[in-house]
Amino acid sequence: MLLDHRELGAWRWLLGGTALLLSLFLLLPLLLIVALSFDSSQWLQFPPPSWTLHWYAQVFADPDWLSSLRASLEVGVSVTVLSVGIGLCASFALVRGRFRGRAFLRAFFVTPMILPSVVLAVALYGVFLRLHLNGTLAGFVLAHLVLALPFSIIPITSALEQFDGAVEDAAVLCGATRWQARLRITVPAISLALVSAAIFSFLASWDEVVVAIFMASPGLQTLPVRIWGELRQNLSPDIAVVSTLLVLGSAVLMGLAAMVRRGASS
Amino acid sequence: MSAPFLSIARIAKSYAGTKAVDEVSLDIAEGEFVTFLGPSGSGKSTTLYIIAGFVEPSAGEVLLGGRSLLAVPPHQRGIGMVFQRYTLFPHLSVAENIAFPLRVRRRPRAEIADKVDEMLRLVRLEGMRGRRPGQLSGGQQQRVALARALAYDPRILLMDEPLSALDKKLREEIQGEIRRVHVETGVTVLYVTHDQEEALRLSDRIALFNHGRIEQVGDGRDLYERPASAFVAGFIGNSNFLPVRVVAAAGRHAVVSCPDGFELRGVRVAARPAGAEPTLMLRPERLWLAPGGAGEGIAGTVVDAAFLGDCIAYRVRTGWAQDLAVRTPLAALGGAPAGVGQEVRVCCEGRHAFLFAAL
Repeated sequence: MLLDHRELGAWRWLLGGTALLLSLFLLLPLLLIVALSFDSSQWLQFPPPSWTLHWYAQVFADPDWLSSLRASLEVGVSVTVLSVGIGLCASFALVRGRFRGRAFLRAFFVTPMILPSVVLAVALYGVFLRLHLNGTLAGFVLAHLVLALPFSIIPITSALEQFDGAVEDAAVLCGATRWQARLRITVPAISLALVSAAIFSFLASWDEVVVAIFMASPGLQTLPVRIWGELRQNLSPDIAVVSTLLVLGSAVLMGLAAMVRRGASS
Repeated sequence: MSAPFLSIARIAKSYAGTKAVDEVSLDIAEGEFVTFLGPSGSGKSTTLYIIAGFVEPSAGEVLLGGRSLLAVPPHQRGIGMVFQRYTLFPHLSVAENIAFPLRVRRRPRAEIADKVDEMLRLVRLEGMRGRRPGQLSGGQQQRVALARALAYDPRILLMDEPLSALDKKLREEIQGEIRRVHVETGVTVLYVTHDQEEALRLSDRIALFNHGRIEQVGDGRDLYERPASAFVAGFIGNSNFLPVRVVAAAGRHAVVSCPDGFELRGVRVAARPAGAEPTLMLRPERLWLAPGGAGEGIAGTVVDAAFLGDCIAYRVRTGWAQDLAVRTPLAALGGAPAGVGQEVRVCCEGRHAFLFAAL
């Protein structure tokens, strides 16, 4: 190999050092937030004078934070279900269908990933204003669905492309209708891609703040939106607690996704 | 004779103006093993896929037991199929794969269990029932696919080059299995291959495809010994093709003159002429060498002699600079074999030569 690790000599230490510093740079803010969430000082003092779970108790007793958590979960789960469902149907059409504009449509489905989210947010806000969807759960879910769909379409289309259509044909000759064959053979065969689509669709909504700020109303605020609001009004340790919980949730799901991917490759 | 079991009547299929299948007709008896043989793109697989129901023909009809098969959707045709690629359901075990067609048909649980056992015995994979397809070799996967295709007692079994992904030794082993399974179950088999040896080994009858048409139908000996066209003669077995002049013709026999003037009598005339130029076909194993000099036969020089175990394969260059292949079985070899550079005469009996000519 061009860059054999053992042949790098002294450069090896430089490489390792840079990697370590870079990791610290990325991780330290997160670690700081986690530390601050257990900080006894209510002014986010660092290093903490002493440690406490007080702020956690406070957050879990606060109806506003709890309603935000519920909103985040409601939006996230709805987006996940719709994203995987629509992504599955769309992928079947994109991979197995034979129609004009297929390649264009496939690229189109992925554009939300490269479009700046603030552009999308303003555009959706304008459209939803006319449809009276602003501030509603439906509007929120629809907006996040646009962002989440690429995360479904990409893994599912690639899994379908790798799955030989002749296997489905074999099921049809075995006596299954085309739909039975898809549901009983093709869908289970690509189940790992579906799980991965679900995880990343959920995360796309769970972590999202820009579009969410435009879609939120006083009664419907997801966790990132409320954190944003709290940050501007009063800097309290609650924010550190909620941020820690958000990071924890994301980390667990990312770990799950990594396990799924390892399962797929073995 | 009663109506044929399976009747393919003038089916045709065009893709963007090119005829993939061009008015193919064939009657098949119940329990017969028929092979569609031909080069790739000759329409043999498309014909099979029309019978399976995955390709819609542009014209024609397929009748099974006197009823139209084309009117029935694929999943109700009751056809078993083994594909060229591995098509076992990856998330199901071997036993579950075989049970799938019976589960779809909502057969009773006990019947399914019995049938799965029977099928595993049939393909001799009793010990593999709990394995996943990913844990099986290619040959084992195709045997499970065969068991799955036969589990619901299909009226026809279609096989689309099922062994082409396997190596030669394994292929011959599974050919034996397929032959045995055909005898034991008595199922009607339509088998597609481009491998002439496989076709000769397995089939009751062979339909030889070329350019979307059937060139000839018959058993292996028919096609080998009485080829209807130069294509058939060239595709089945090895052949020498000589440009000749027809000296005289009477009925199905002719006298021809080779380019060096040697005249061969009693040559058989093929049913269907080739192109405009008369062509004589000689099988290498029907030729023998005589010492050079005056006498019957085509004069030439040995340019290559290869020992192949059971025979010696010669290449003999004729006076008009064509290389003729000659195969002499060791048993027929009197004395020392001819050496490279030796002058010889290539001899043949007229009844073993075939003339393709428009007379």
